Amino acid sequence: MTTTSEPPLQLTAGEQLVRPSTSLGVFSRPTGETGWKSWLFTVDHKRIGIMYGAAALLFLVIGGIEALLLRLQLAVPGGNVLSEDAYNQVFTMHGVTMVFLVIMPMAAAFANYLLPLQIGARDVAFPRLNAFSLWCFLAGGIFLNTSWFLGGAPDGGWFGYAPNSGLVYSPSHGMDFYALGLQIAGIASLVSAINLITTVLNMRAPGMSLFRMPVLSWMLLVVQFLLLFAIPVITVALFLLSFDRLFGANFFNVEAGADPLLWQHLFWIFGHPEVYILILPAFGIMSEVIPVFSRKPIFGYPFMVFSGIAIGFMGWGVWAHHMFTSGIGPVSVAVFSLSTMFIAVPTGVKILNWLATMWGGRLRFNTAMLYSVGAVAMFTIGGLSGVTHAISPADTQQTDTYYIVAHFHYVIFGGSLMGMLSGFYFWWPKAFGYKLNEKLGKIGFWILLIGFNLTFGPMHILGLQGMSRRIHSYAADSGFNLWNMVASIGAFVIAAGVLLFFWNIGVSRRRARGSPPVGPDPWDARGLEWMTASPVPTHNFDRDITVTRQDEFWHRKWRIGTDGKVTRIARAEDVAHDGSATGVHLPSPSYWPVVVALGLPLVAYGLIYNLWITGIGALVILGGLYGWVFEPPDDPEDHGHDDHHEADPSGEAGNGANGGGASGNGEGEPADGDGARQLAAAGTSGGPVAEAQP
Amino acid sequence: MMGEQAGGRFGPNLWRRLRLALVALAVALALTACADEHPLDTLTEAGPDAQEINDLFFPVLGVAIIVFFLVQGAIIYLAVRYRARRRAAAAAVHSDDPDGDDLYGDDEYPEQVHGNLRLELAWTIIPTILLAVISVFTLISLVDLNEVSAAEDDLRVTVVGQQWWWEFQYHLDGDTSTPPDIVTANELVMPVRQQVPLGITSRDVIHSFWIPRLNGKKDAVPGRTHPWVIEADEPGRYMGQCTEFCGLSHAYMRMYAVVLEPAEWDEWVQGQLVDAAPLEPGEPGYEGQEVFLANCANCHVVNGVSDVNLDDLPDGMGDYAGANAITSALVSGAAPNLTHVASRTTFAGSIFDLYEDRAERIPYLEVAERGDLNRGDLEAWIRNAPGQKANDADGARGMTAFPGLTDGEIDALVEYLMTLR
Repeated sequence: MTTTSEPPLQLTAGEQLVRPSTSLGVFSRPTGETGWKSWLFTVDHKRIGIMYGAAALLFLVIGGIEALLLRLQLAVPGGNVLSEDAYNQVFTMHGVTMVFLVIMPMAAAFANYLLPLQIGARDVAFPRLNAFSLWCFLAGGIFLNTSWFLGGAPDGGWFGYAPNSGLVYSPSHGMDFYALGLQIAGIASLVSAINLITTVLNMRAPGMSLFRMPVLSWMLLVVQFLLLFAIPVITVALFLLSFDRLFGANFFNVEAGADPLLWQHLFWIFGHPEVYILILPAFGIMSEVIPVFSRKPIFGYPFMVFSGIAIGFMGWGVWAHHMFTSGIGPVSVAVFSLSTMFIAVPTGVKILNWLATMWGGRLRFNTAMLYSVGAVAMFTIGGLSGVTHAISPADTQQTDTYYIVAHFHYVIFGGSLMGMLSGFYFWWPKAFGYKLNEKLGKIGFWILLIGFNLTFGPMHILGLQGMSRRIHSYAADSGFNLWNMVASIGAFVIAAGVLLFFWNIGVSRRRARGSPPVGPDPWDARGLEWMTASPVPTHNFDRDITVTRQDEFWHRKWRIGTDGKVTRIARAEDVAHDGSATGVHLPSPSYWPVVVALGLPLVAYGLIYNLWITGIGALVILGGLYGWVFEPPDDPEDHGHDDHHEADPSGEAGNGANGGGASGNGEGEPADGDGARQLAAAGTSGGPVAEAQP
Repeated sequence: MMGEQAGGRFGPNLWRRLRLALVALAVALALTACADEHPLDTLTEAGPDAQEINDLFFPVLGVAIIVFFLVQGAIIYLAVRYRARRRAAAAAVHSDDPDGDDLYGDDEYPEQVHGNLRLELAWTIIPTILLAVISVFTLISLVDLNEVSAAEDDLRVTVVGQQWWWEFQYHLDGDTSTPPDIVTANELVMPVRQQVPLGITSRDVIHSFWIPRLNGKKDAVPGRTHPWVIEADEPGRYMGQCTEFCGLSHAYMRMYAVVLEPAEWDEWVQGQLVDAAPLEPGEPGYEGQEVFLANCANCHVVNGVSDVNLDDLPDGMGDYAGANAITSALVSGAAPNLTHVASRTTFAGSIFDLYEDRAERIPYLEVAERGDLNRGDLEAWIRNAPGQKANDADGARGMTAFPGLTDGEIDALVEYLMTLR
């Protein structure tokens, strides 16, 4: 099969490719596989995923501290922990941080780490762009948080409604940081979406048709499409806001004839798909974890996939339910009320299918399973309260009260975050080679679950009793005292649960030293990511895997007899690759993604403070792009790899798993059913990339 | 095929737990049920619109609670029923495993069910039908709530939100194209059992008008006037709160709807229609009037005394004065009209009581005579408003401080304000 020696990216007319000379000289590629440089310049999707996750957890701590400050302020009536100004900054940054810097990058962590593995690929389609996404997100997040030290954080709410976000009403630089910081983080999401969509569409293992992909891969794919179309909308909105604030434009100046509802429409056309961007990855994770610990395949795979796609489509038609009271008129209200109600259907299907997956299973309540089932239970509450404000007349009472705060925390904390915590426990051994401690994990789960319900459960009552959102304090005779105190206590219980999670990481890591390795497949799992060693070697798989059905890996371990009985046919260790392949061609690390990303916050600082800094930032970006373009596809000094770059002029796409230019370990055909195809052996360069495409 | 093993030994146990949960829920609801202690309660409606909303909300909430118990019950049931049992033998063998993962016997696999089309279609279609039914009722109540029954020449009120208080402009003949007959602040006085159409707008940022016991909320958006209605079944005092985040003192932008019997309402209107008479030297309050004209009249109007009126705003009353106008100089009319300030029960966005006694214990029309002035808060407010309620940092919005006023001047000013009944 892999007989052609043509380079993987052929020009259609068959012209000779211009092969970049490695003697360009000035540029080389970084080398080294350990040390901080190996992380800073890595293009390995797994390291990038791990860094995404670590950054998300760091921002979780920051956002969590902000939440604790808010709850301290609101614990008693007339609180004076924070001034009005500080309170507005803290709640704005709590929202911005949790949405853009915690849940989204956490999902990106799972997407980066798992998507290539789950579809049997070597890496993502554009490894350097992938690194650029990470650094771009981090640059945006750090840029946003530096506002604390530069005259005040954003104070107009994460939703930044015009005209309150304008210069007149928010004179500090906070909202400039908001507009520019989210713009930078948005570039990260957009680039990453294009990258991952390309990866899924082009780089699946042979036989891995779209409808053999795990549900998580599907949900991540849907999310990337949502990002691809949603980010440009917020980009436009943020540009308008930036121009208003920085250059005196009048997009939201009512006096000049603007209608402030323009911002609301733009923001929520992005903002509602954003909700599904936050929740669908967790749905995917739960759809991986529940089958494994129920020891059953996912119930109704097509329904799970299509309900996810349906949510992805319908998510575009519900944005104005954030605007029922903003004066959009009864016809619009009616339309969006109905569309909002019916988006509950595909969501409900998912919940019932998870339950049906558990039905008749052999449930093992490991921490991962606890979090997944907990997420199902908590998300259900959020979904149901969602229906009670899809009925728009009731929403006129509930919107902008704590009832809504309760609702979306049940969705995003109870659903997304718990789902992702489940993912952490589930894939931790895959990424790091040791399990997180189960005992600490289970205790942590129950603390978190109790704290969560203690915090956000009472907020339903508070909201129905009329407590508004975003209020700095409340009067002692408003009747809000009891439940606010309960909620504040709950917040600290949550904090204890989160701390225990971090403690668990430390303890498990320490105990793992000297312990026997965890093996490729500690949970008897189903996806391809378990079919290689733990932690996953840099090259992912030793050989290409030919997929013949869903849950390929599980079916290589187990056989379902004609009587429906399941019998073992192989041990995981025998089926899984041991990661021993050597000389596998991989994309080389690169200096330039981090350089280009570094230029962006410089541009942004310059727009706020001094345009000369913008100029410097622009030069950094241009220089970075120049280096990026002229970077040799490989490091000529690196003799471990040097026999391949001739076959790999693209430097990017061809390096992926199915780029074919990659080399295998050169050993004989394994008797594991991969059968028809293995990656080209070292030295025989090149296999047509087209072969990997179904 | 899956259900025949249902039921079994934990059944009564489960019921006991459920019953416990129900009791806990009842206790929680009982703790929160009193309307008196919850002035903003959405669930104890006091007007037909709020009633209409709750008539829709409660059944839907009921359905949601039923589904909640079904799903959570199913989760608990599945978790208990299908939990893998640890095998004693395995436990003995693997007792050194700290995590206990291997205690289950790893060769046990249940029947591998991939799905059930009929079941899945059922739980796609049944919720769809349920939601379709709910949506019919939603549309019906949406139409009801948007119906204006008041006649063209009935009372109409223009509600103007601004940072951080509410202005109410009364058009007694319902004609909003003419200047308002009465302009007041923070307390929307209205007749009982009469639908009052509102036009809600804003002078600066977006606010949201909300008297929860009477109706849902409606945003006050600059440059737009949103129609809304409000109606109360009983006389009384109903609290309201701005619910769209509007900057520093968003929390301190409250209001009241004061609902009067028709006779009292007429009396109130007649009282409000009278302009204040300029005081002559020697009359009580004259010194205060001079202080007022020297310090306060730049922003505050007292009809008949400080003549600058809302009508003198560049684009006419009720229009958006413009962000720039507000920052460059506060114009008269962008602060509460004080013509009858002593007849109100609260000030500063309804966060301070003007009288010591809780105003609801005195008939509304008699507070100015019978109430004991809350002198402490009022004087503190006049002296240093930004210290009492967060204002814009540069003092351009909200009331500024008057550090130059002597104690005597403040006393005189308070005396004058109390003549404005």
